[in-house]
Amino acid sequence: MTAETPAPSRADSAAPTASQARSAWSRRIFDVVSRYGFVIVFFAFAVFFALRADAFLNPSNLVNILEGNAVLLIAALAMTLVVASGGIDLSIGIAIDFGGWFAIIAMRDYDLTWASALLVGVLAGAAVGVLNAGLIVRLKISPFLATLGTFFIGSSIQQIYTSGGGQVPFREMSESFRSLSTGAVLGVPTEIVIAAVVGVVYFVLLERSVHGKRIHAIGLQRSVASVSGIRVSGYLVFVFVFASATVALSGIILTAGLRQFTPLSGFSYLLDAIAAVFIGASMHPQRRPNVAGTLLGVLFLGVVSNGLNLMGLDFNLRDALEGIILVGALALAFANRNNRARAVSI
Amino acid sequence: MSEPAVQTLPPTRPRLRQLAATPALRLLLARFPLLVFALLFVYMALGSEFFLEWRNISSILRQSAPDAILAAGLAVVVTAGGDDIVSGGIDISLPAAATLGVGILSDQLVNGRPFVLAMLLAAAAVIAVGLLNAALVVKVGLTPLLATLASWVAVVGTTKWVIDNRRITVDDPLINSVRDGTVLNVPVPAVFALAVLIVLSFWIHRTRFGHRLQASGGNRSAAEISGLNPDYFLARSFVMASLAAVVASVVLTARGSGLSPGIEERLLLDMVLATFVGAAFSFRRVVTVPGAMLGALLVKALGSGFQLLNVDIFKVGMVKGVLILIVVASAALEAGQRR
Repeated sequence: MTAETPAPSRADSAAPTASQARSAWSRRIFDVVSRYGFVIVFFAFAVFFALRADAFLNPSNLVNILEGNAVLLIAALAMTLVVASGGIDLSIGIAIDFGGWFAIIAMRDYDLTWASALLVGVLAGAAVGVLNAGLIVRLKISPFLATLGTFFIGSSIQQIYTSGGGQVPFREMSESFRSLSTGAVLGVPTEIVIAAVVGVVYFVLLERSVHGKRIHAIGLQRSVASVSGIRVSGYLVFVFVFASATVALSGIILTAGLRQFTPLSGFSYLLDAIAAVFIGASMHPQRRPNVAGTLLGVLFLGVVSNGLNLMGLDFNLRDALEGIILVGALALAFANRNNRARAVSI
Repeated sequence: MSEPAVQTLPPTRPRLRQLAATPALRLLLARFPLLVFALLFVYMALGSEFFLEWRNISSILRQSAPDAILAAGLAVVVTAGGDDIVSGGIDISLPAAATLGVGILSDQLVNGRPFVLAMLLAAAAVIAVGLLNAALVVKVGLTPLLATLASWVAVVGTTKWVIDNRRITVDDPLINSVRDGTVLNVPVPAVFALAVLIVLSFWIHRTRFGHRLQASGGNRSAAEISGLNPDYFLARSFVMASLAAVVASVVLTARGSGLSPGIEERLLLDMVLATFVGAAFSFRRVVTVPGAMLGALLVKALGSGFQLLNVDIFKVGMVKGVLILIVVASAALEAGQRR
């Protein structure tokens, strides 16, 4: 690790440069390790699972991991956008639920085609976003509390209209709708294709467009962004509506796969989506939420869950280990950083 | 909670604020959350004579005690870390820690362990969660939201594993006396909650340590410049909150006569709701321990009232959601108006 120490007999002028070079090197190694500490942990886990569970590296298992986490990835991407704008969205579960629920109702009770049902689902999700945006932009409620309120209201609406959470089945859904989950495009499962398209859209929006720069600016310093002439309210409305419409898509995929809608099922994606966003942010130089990092965060969660599953551990023990690994991995990802993680602060 | 509202408001749309500026409306706005609660209670008292009977009130006190104790713990962390929910202080792992305590306590009691030993084991586990949170935030440097989110996942998983994800029914004389007993007609869980209220309020509002803790949460950099170490106070607040969670786990074990898996999710939402609704009851619109506990009590009372009026139980969630929005929106409007 350490470079050779300069000999004491050397001229004094040489010593500082040598030690400077050394410290620059060690700092660089340190930077790389601390920035990519999470990637190293990720690969360590992948290698461990590959050694302990033969099926892990099977191509079909790897496709399984991707397919099983496409829904989470879409939700986490939407969360990335919201967190980048300085907010948080606790109601993504509601938008997921509403997307699938309204799509099924549109097809079952109103005989709409699958494409219109898709549109209805996305619009239903967007409506959740409109409510959030109104509360946050108009009434100046903080995103955490506004979306918490939306969560209570949305959960209640689902319970009222499904008699307390009864499933809404639709066995006769058209094959085209069903193929949103079960089909394949050029041999790649549709879910992965949809998640990839969403990923590209979010990448271009958030990291390759002036709008993304402005959204990041709002997230970093809202008052400065406002003074610089950025239309903060307009962007916030867009962020919350677009994010909710996006996650509605994952709800639609879920219902297409199960041929039924299970009320309140979206909540389970919330914590994982937040975790993935922050894992991703830990790898960014300025610790900002970013699309590539979120993708890596989702893959990490997926790989750990899949690997522990393949090792044949008890279901309850697996849940415990997953949680403990998440704590450890986050601790490692953020450890040894001089700046506090508050840089991702919102 | 405290957004820089004035600067970001476009000058073309100040209608809402102008409306809020007339003196009468201003007073109305300032007292709006209390008014909403008062009107709802009058409505309930008129709708059902049973609502104001001591039997019902003591049942509400009994039921709301665990939520109130957890909300008090959360209020301490919010006070020490600042009320910006995402970057400031928050401990969402409290209900999970309390549930872990319930699990260990129930499991040990059912296996014939003496109460004191079972209680010590449960307390050790719950406090360990508090220490873990403190370490993750202060040593590792995670934001409190992220750190306690991660420990929530870990603790919920651990609880499932420890108790095998099953319902445990406890029939212990001490636990039963907490559940059914009264002191001077006041239910024992409410006495526990009152004790927590007195201890935590005194600690935060009447000691030098508490004032410094408030200072470091109120303005981190100002506290640092004055020679305080905000991290120290934040760490202490996580441990203090976990002590509240220990008390909550006893009361929760009594309320449920043991453990029902999955109670932590409902507790989480109610705890957050109570704590931040409680801010509306303080003069400066900040989260306080008494406010949080009052919030828990009022939210529970509303639920009970709706039940007495035969309102569909599924609609209670809707009422809670609307309530939190009314309270928080009026606080935000008023804060923007005061500047």
